[in-house]
Amino acid sequence: MFLALKELTYSKGRFIMISLIIILISWLVFFLAGLGNGLSDLGAATLKYAPIEYAVYEENSDFSFSKSMLSESLADDLLKEKGVTAVAPIGTASASIRQKNSDEDTASKIDVLIAGIRPGSFMEPIVTAGESLQASNPAGVIVDRSLELEGFKLGDNLTINGSTQEMEIIGFTENQSLSHQPVVFSSLEKLREYKYAAPSSDNGIKDVVNSILIQGKESEPKEIEKSIEGVQVGSKKEAINAVPGYAAENGTITLMVGFLIIISAIIIAVFFYILTSQKTQQFGVMKAIGGSNWFIIKSVVSQVFILSVISILIGILLTYATAAVLPDSMPFNLIPSLVISYSLVLLAISVISSFFSVLKIAKIDPLTALGGKE
Amino acid sequence: MAGLQLKNVSKVYQEGDFETIALNDVTLAVEPGEFIAIIGPSGSGKSTFLSVSGALLQPSKGEVSINDVAISTLKEKELSKVRLEQIGFILQTSNLIPYLTVLDQLLIVKRMGGKVTAQAKEYALRLLADLGMTSKIKKYPNELSGGERQRVAIARSFMNDPDLILADEPTANLDTKRANEVVQLIAQEVKSRGKAAIMVTHDERMLKYCDCVYRIEDGVLSREE
Ligand SMILES: Nc1ncnc2c1ncn2[C@@H]1O[C@H](COP(=O)(O)OP(=O)(O)OP(=O)(O)O)[C@@H](O)[C@H]1O
Ligand SMILES: [Mg+2]
Repeated sequence: MFLALKELTYSKGRFIMISLIIILISWLVFFLAGLGNGLSDLGAATLKYAPIEYAVYEENSDFSFSKSMLSESLADDLLKEKGVTAVAPIGTASASIRQKNSDEDTASKIDVLIAGIRPGSFMEPIVTAGESLQASNPAGVIVDRSLELEGFKLGDNLTINGSTQEMEIIGFTENQSLSHQPVVFSSLEKLREYKYAAPSSDNGIKDVVNSILIQGKESEPKEIEKSIEGVQVGSKKEAINAVPGYAAENGTITLMVGFLIIISAIIIAVFFYILTSQKTQQFGVMKAIGGSNWFIIKSVVSQVFILSVISILIGILLTYATAAVLPDSMPFNLIPSLVISYSLVLLAISVISSFFSVLKIAKIDPLTALGGKE
Repeated sequence: MAGLQLKNVSKVYQEGDFETIALNDVTLAVEPGEFIAIIGPSGSGKSTFLSVSGALLQPSKGEVSINDVAISTLKEKELSKVRLEQIGFILQTSNLIPYLTVLDQLLIVKRMGGKVTAQAKEYALRLLADLGMTSKIKKYPNELSGGERQRVAIARSFMNDPDLILADEPTANLDTKRANEVVQLIAQEVKSRGKAAIMVTHDERMLKYCDCVYRIEDGVLSREE
């Protein structure tokens, strides 16, 4: 640590160059990670951040909300299953909404995803403005804040296009999106009145819902499938991946960030290797006067560690600074757990890549100290 | 027997088909309290002799023992411990670490073996004072003259109180007055603390401080009268 710090302060210029590289790389990694997560939020935020462990669907529905139909009464049966601590039935439908009394042909319309839920269930989002869903007001809805940007306000009455159903915005919430559509949380009754308006479109199922989401880490999906007829239980991950387009989209993003990290690893490793190579003579001197390999390696690795920690922190600050000036319409969501995991990955890359230099150090012959100039 | 022993030591540098016999069947013993000088023309094998004696280089043939330990039996880690604790090297080029101040150059040797104590610091300051470097302890190597750097390297070699001091032309960059002081200092260390010391030099005037003088020519060592 001592040597590492002395050298860092002595050769500031050189180390500023290297930390600049690491800062830029981490900036890029965090920025892409934030954008990637923002994009994947558009695809499935409502499920991603839902406090659920499992989701129950109709058998053979491929964990898809649109292919699955269940009776809401199953919720009570599920609650009796081992390990299940809470349940939330949900039904979803795509819709296009406009202001009430606006002209059907000329008014601006917005595509949304209506999610019917039980008021007060764990699927109900926290409102950032307005109030939560009321059982007494089945037409009241909580909508994603992106609708605010489109000019919708609290108290606005909405008409669903191609339907006679009307809703009232009673609350706004944040980051609720599914299949790239803002989510409108309504009561299950309202959803059914709209989605299953046509006679027998509910296949005769009483109080139809599309899925029942489950809380409870101890619950046993296989047991549930056995004890309840005609259902399929998916993990949270399976539920998210079944959102149309999500898996492919997310795969692309992950691949991009993954490549970026591999390339960064190579760049950082090369830099540290060159840095070490330049100091061959110096390490030779240390060895000649009795420094062990371990002593030198410790100093090199701790130097890389200090340099990386500082650079990564600066990279994080830069990322948040950039995010602050991004337009709201840009999907950017850098959550702390991502920051922490990518920081650790970058730090590990730096430290591991300095091990290549370590191999070189171990091979340096103390005799080089005799030969060269200083 | 403490001190340094070389028994029938040869060193051959192999470069492709080309062989240089840098040391040829050298036998020598230096006892504690003995200060010897090695002279010889350029390329005769003086630096090679010091490297072999100082556990930097394994001989091609023969055996080198430092304080009765045969260095050919030691592993890399043990060799560095021997160099740290038992040998004080004054290299031909002074070889300081560029980003350390004069004082830290000395203390780093302590750090390699563990902790820097207050006594160690005091000792370092005294050594530097003996070599007339007190006013420069905060300077970096690039702010020193060649002679000053050499003096720091000498102080560094004394830092761990080694049993064997090996000096490769320690006076090369010094004026006559300083050169005399430095060699006197080495001689004094050797006598008062019972160390063994070998100095390679070109400077005939320094030979008067030494107990005996050896000449090396084409790798062959012989005693001067
Ligand atoms: N690493 C090496 N590889 C090959 N040959 C070497 C090597 N080091 C030294 N030699 C050769 O061994 C011989 C002795 O070299 P050495 O450095 O011991 O001489 P020296 O007496 O110290 O010379 P100088 O007074 O110029 O420092 C020389 O012929 C030199 O060219
Ligand atoms: Mg030489």
